[in-house]
Amino acid sequence: MEEKVLSTEKKAGMLELIGKFGLTPLGAAALLTISVLPFIFRDEFVTRLLVATLMYGALAMAFDFTSGYINICNFGFCAFWGLGAYTSAIVAIRLGVSPWVGMLCGGVMSAIVGFGLGLLTIRLGGIFASCMTWFVALAMMAVTYNWVSLTKGSAGLNVPALFDTVQNAPYYYVMLAIMLLVYFVLMRITKSNMGMAFRAIGQDIEAASSSGVNPTKYKVVNFTISCAIAGLIGGFYAHFIGILTPQALGTAKTVEIMAISYIGGRGTIWGGLACAMIMVPLMEYSKGLMELRLVLYGALMIAVMIFYPKGLVGLWEAVTAFLRRSNKIWKPFRKIFSKNGAI
Amino acid sequence: MGEFGDILVTAVLRGGIYALMALGLSLVFGVMNIANFAHGEFYMLGAYFAYFSFTTFKLGVIPSVLIAALLAFAVGVIVERGLFYPLRKRSKKNWLMNTFLLTLGVSIILQNGAKLMWGSRYRGVTSYFGGTISVGTMQIPNDRIFAFAVACIAIAIFVLFLNKTKLGRAIRSVSMDETGASLVGVNLNMIHTLTFGLSCMLAALAGACLLPLTPAFPVMGINPLYKSWFVLILVGMGNLGASIVGGLIVGLLETISYFQFGAGWQDVISLAVIIVILLVKPNGIFGKKGVKSAAE
Repeated sequence: MEEKVLSTEKKAGMLELIGKFGLTPLGAAALLTISVLPFIFRDEFVTRLLVATLMYGALAMAFDFTSGYINICNFGFCAFWGLGAYTSAIVAIRLGVSPWVGMLCGGVMSAIVGFGLGLLTIRLGGIFASCMTWFVALAMMAVTYNWVSLTKGSAGLNVPALFDTVQNAPYYYVMLAIMLLVYFVLMRITKSNMGMAFRAIGQDIEAASSSGVNPTKYKVVNFTISCAIAGLIGGFYAHFIGILTPQALGTAKTVEIMAISYIGGRGTIWGGLACAMIMVPLMEYSKGLMELRLVLYGALMIAVMIFYPKGLVGLWEAVTAFLRRSNKIWKPFRKIFSKNGAI
Repeated sequence: MGEFGDILVTAVLRGGIYALMALGLSLVFGVMNIANFAHGEFYMLGAYFAYFSFTTFKLGVIPSVLIAALLAFAVGVIVERGLFYPLRKRSKKNWLMNTFLLTLGVSIILQNGAKLMWGSRYRGVTSYFGGTISVGTMQIPNDRIFAFAVACIAIAIFVLFLNKTKLGRAIRSVSMDETGASLVGVNLNMIHTLTFGLSCMLAALAGACLLPLTPAFPVMGINPLYKSWFVLILVGMGNLGASIVGGLIVGLLETISYFQFGAGWQDVISLAVIIVILLVKPNGIFGKKGVKSAAE
């Protein structure tokens, strides 16, 4: 009897421990599955695709951190990703430091410029802030195109690889580590008081500032964190892909990330990741459809906007709520589907 | 005339088209409160429509341009009825942001739809009217003059329409106060649809006129799009009269930085200018009361 109590206590303790990292048991199981995927498929093409999937997922989470919380759509998001990539590459080429240090430099550089962007958007709201981020990003892209002596312009910049191997599995685990880091950091922040402040600013900036939340400070902090993550991932991307063109800073990339993040669900962090897990492989394997798949992509985005603004996360929440209500068989699994719906 | 004259002429020719684009964008923002990110795609559609009526159907220049404008008007009406109308029924809160994303989706669909139907190769015509006119020391192609003339005529007709006709006044009244307008019997749905269609028509006109200078291809819209956003931010959103002046200012700014710093860097210069303007005068240099403000 006593033993049983203990074991349930132990179980509860485990759940709590996992919960501390922002995971439900289901999330932990998903994580385990993800971490062995390269061994299941044993295929370089699939592994490469998985790296891209995780990367898009991590980027979508960082994007959602700004757009879903403080409600400013960072329309120049990918410019920060590209800035991180170029910084990392140039530092590695010019100064000859290791790509690992380069990645960190990319993150720091993007964080600094992101801090600046945060300051620029202080006075602006909604669509104007988005325009500001867009113009800054376009300016960054134009500079990248024209500063040929540093970036080689549209000819492309060759970047040293992170590992000396042709295999993709090492890259996969690095990306997985980055993705987990991003996830845990963002989950921790959004669940803390700071996350509450972000939401308050996003919903009503005047009400928030009249109840003592300093919008300027939180806006800048939010931009800095989000851009730093983009830069770090950019640094990884540079050494993963091996060649950079200014196209990476372009609006089209941002739109892709944005679509993934919005279809996933706004203000949820993990929605973007889940959506990337579905959308990126789907897009890759439907390449035979050519442009039609992008048309469908746009249509899906519009449909989600008009008819189901909660996105994938909303769908997931509805399903789990239904399961929780409907059947007693699910009773033992109730804890798996936590109420706030986060994986 | 000298170099100064050259700059001025180039700037005016450029600016006329920017004004035409910006006018449509500003109209939609003022009346419907939509930040239209798909505006450049209607420019692209205009260029394609003009290309097909000019080369495939061998219509004359003027009919081609007119047909392009009318077809784009029709597409605009379909988009408004099919997408914005249902969204307006569902969402009031966060309307500006939602429609902005919706227009992004429209832009993805139109761009890739164009790629799907017409491929990504350039489709251009060498010239509408051959020959050049010499203005001062410069030789200016007739096509540029034509584009500028069309822009001027379109803007003039449009301004007359807004100020002198009943329908135009109705559009302006909706942009001032939606509730008030509907109280005095303006049919809001009809005005919204008409406005969006007209805005698309103006963008398509620009695309059709410039066909000899920029050939039609699926992603051609991004440049005119951000130029027209540039104009809007410069003069203040939804400020119709000022966006004409703004177009000319942007044309001048670009031409000067082009002459000074060479191609490529002109974008950096003009973007830097717009960033500074957003910082110090977020409501635009002609910002005034009644115009929607940046600080929301």
